[in-house]
Amino acid sequence: MRQFLACVVLLAAAGGAAAQAWPAKPIRLIAPYAAGGPIDISARLLAPKLQQALGQPVLVENRPGAGGNIGADFVAKSAPDGYTLVIGAIATHAINPWLFAAMPYDPIRDFRPVALIVQVPNVLVVNNELPARSVKDLIALAKARPGKLDFASGSTGSTGHLAGEMFKLMTGTYMVHIPYKGAAPAVTDLMAGRVHLMFDNLASALPNVKAGKVRALAVTTRQRSGFLPELPTLDEAGLKGFEMTTWWGVMAPAKTPDAVVQRLNAEIFKALELADVKERLRAMGSETPAVRTPQAFSAFVASELKTYGELVKRSGAKPD
Amino acid sequence: MDIFANLALGFGVALTPFNLLMCLIGVLLGTLIGVLPGVGPVATIAMLLPITFNLNPIAALIMLAGIYYGAQYGGSTTAILVNLPGESSSVVTCLDGYQMARQGRAGPALATAALGSFFAGCIATLIVAMFAPPLAEVALKFGPAEYFSLMVLGLVAAVVLAHGSLLKAIAMVILGLLLGLIGTDVNSGVLRFAFGISELADGIGFVTVAMGMFGLAEIIANLEHQGTREVFTKKVTHLWPTKEDWKRIWAPILRGTFLGSALGILPGGGALLASFGAYTLEKKVSKYSREFGKGAIEGVAAPESANNAGAQTSFIPLLTLGIPSNAVMALMIGAMMIQGIAPGPQVMTERPQLFWGMIASMWVGNLMLVVLNLPLIGMWIKLLTVPYRILYPSILVFMAIGVFSLSNNPFDVLLMGLFGLLGYVCVKLECEPAPMILGFILGPLMEENLRRAMLLSRGDPLTFIQKPISAGFIIASVILLVIIALPQLRKKRAEVFVEEV
Repeated sequence: MRQFLACVVLLAAAGGAAAQAWPAKPIRLIAPYAAGGPIDISARLLAPKLQQALGQPVLVENRPGAGGNIGADFVAKSAPDGYTLVIGAIATHAINPWLFAAMPYDPIRDFRPVALIVQVPNVLVVNNELPARSVKDLIALAKARPGKLDFASGSTGSTGHLAGEMFKLMTGTYMVHIPYKGAAPAVTDLMAGRVHLMFDNLASALPNVKAGKVRALAVTTRQRSGFLPELPTLDEAGLKGFEMTTWWGVMAPAKTPDAVVQRLNAEIFKALELADVKERLRAMGSETPAVRTPQAFSAFVASELKTYGELVKRSGAKPD
Repeated sequence: MDIFANLALGFGVALTPFNLLMCLIGVLLGTLIGVLPGVGPVATIAMLLPITFNLNPIAALIMLAGIYYGAQYGGSTTAILVNLPGESSSVVTCLDGYQMARQGRAGPALATAALGSFFAGCIATLIVAMFAPPLAEVALKFGPAEYFSLMVLGLVAAVVLAHGSLLKAIAMVILGLLLGLIGTDVNSGVLRFAFGISELADGIGFVTVAMGMFGLAEIIANLEHQGTREVFTKKVTHLWPTKEDWKRIWAPILRGTFLGSALGILPGGGALLASFGAYTLEKKVSKYSREFGKGAIEGVAAPESANNAGAQTSFIPLLTLGIPSNAVMALMIGAMMIQGIAPGPQVMTERPQLFWGMIASMWVGNLMLVVLNLPLIGMWIKLLTVPYRILYPSILVFMAIGVFSLSNNPFDVLLMGLFGLLGYVCVKLECEPAPMILGFILGPLMEENLRRAMLLSRGDPLTFIQKPISAGFIIASVILLVIIALPQLRKKRAEVFVEEV
């Protein structure tokens, strides 16, 4: 009986939003990165909740490759009917367009941002042997030993790399960038003392900071992080205006109907408020984003794209 | 002693009925996907991740770990029966395992693989339990310079893998190195040899190459003998290793276990080298080295023990440092984070139940695997009696599904086809794929670490001999090179490498 009632309620709900009868078939949510990474995990967290709310299966599909471009491009070229969505990220929509010589899609014109779901700060961490105890110490050290300090990152053009370049530009110091294949081997060399510092994302840095294997000096966001409240922001530490967060969110192909985008946005934010989702996203270092409407998300993507364009150009991170 | 208290705690966790069930499901699934060519633990664990949301963290991790080492068992089955390595670690198992199968000795080969794996799994689990924290420090001692020198040694040893012409083996290693260059340059981010194809931006996947070069090429080559495929089932004499076999395999199993445990600790390619290293070592020390490549049972025992030992000890950097040593371990980190566990040095102290429970479950899982796998041998052998026209098309389908599932991209299936053709050409030219595969795996790792080490030393190549561990590997490589190259040793080399067909 309860099941029957649930069905009725569900049908009624579906009927209410059924001006355009969406969704009438399963929805594909493309994660443009390998399974098991934070973007894949958040997609898989969200999918069952959306499925419940929308009454249609929501299937997560990994289409990794080319820094996320393959998956993003697939969605850019899909029908704008609300049945193919992608997790667009800072890499696919703000950094790659400046790094790749030939982009298969336009990050602004080909997409309709739906909902920003995760924002994670980066943390400036140094190895324990480095005498610097604060950002001020570090700048002094970098100035006293130009070209002697190494900063590691998960890959060329990653937020960790670009944060380092931004740091160099703002402080007028010179440090050598050591790129790795993924953050894990970079963190290993940081712990072992082979590289001096790194702008690591909060989730991966946190356990090592808490275990005392590396020392955190600052966060890259404008606001302090709830996970390490005693840690100053780089902005507070003297680098006025320093701001950088790793983010990702659900996007649809351009020309996806407005009603679908609004409905999705509403359901996604309802899901993000659920206790278990919140808790698991917090475990990845994310606090609920302040950008909430599709319009605000669009504006956010546009401004990020602009910021990183300048940074990539000025830092010389562009390959050719 | 602490260790007993810890292990008791661990077994207390692992032996609860629910966790036992999870372990069983894990190893069953692992065996299954290991047997299916191309469907690897990465895809499987990724698909199962959402299911683990609702399990408690210990049960979830026990199951996922079971899939991982279960796949190591299953992977050798197809390598031996149909020359299809499902995992990088079972590539060398193909060399002698498949030859054994052709001689009607698939049973002993499978039994050796299972028993060797079991023994190695037990010993390696014990090593994890007793020495995990100090061994984790070893992992930290390996920086770019050390990895580079280790890879050099591995590459020099790769030549020993061949049992045909030395020149051809070197050519194949170089071909592998060249193929490994395809993709994004780590330092500059420039695309190399991608020809504008975005699917090539991350390089070519190992599974794609191995499936094509080994499996597909084998199938094409078999098509030549119209309807008269070697029927190696008729010659099956016995399922179990003979007394003579036992005498020959115990030492290789021991050596393989030791080498595998040691290399498994190193994140970034260590475990990968284990099976190759063990095979090379056996070929050097065994008095049956002439039989290698033609169905030497040592050539199955050593690498199978090594890869399973390596699979177990690769949990050390994961559990103690939070460093994933391969794609599966990276998924495990994902699984832990979903559960709200931050993988890292504090897991052992803050969650002793999880840490020791997982270690104990590995031992339990290994026992389940051997109990599961030994009776299955008879069934696998029966599989070989399935007519060629039915067996091979179904294998092709599985291979295509497996390769597709790597990144849900049909491009990989096409690429596998291309490598199948290349593999067939190599069969015709009598060039062996194994050295190529090793070059293909080691090349990118070597380049990456070489350039990183040079960046860190600001261009000073002396860094490779100033660091003691790195210097040791370089010296060992030089000695090995001298043995291969010295003219007066040529005759001896001929004995080692060239076996007339």
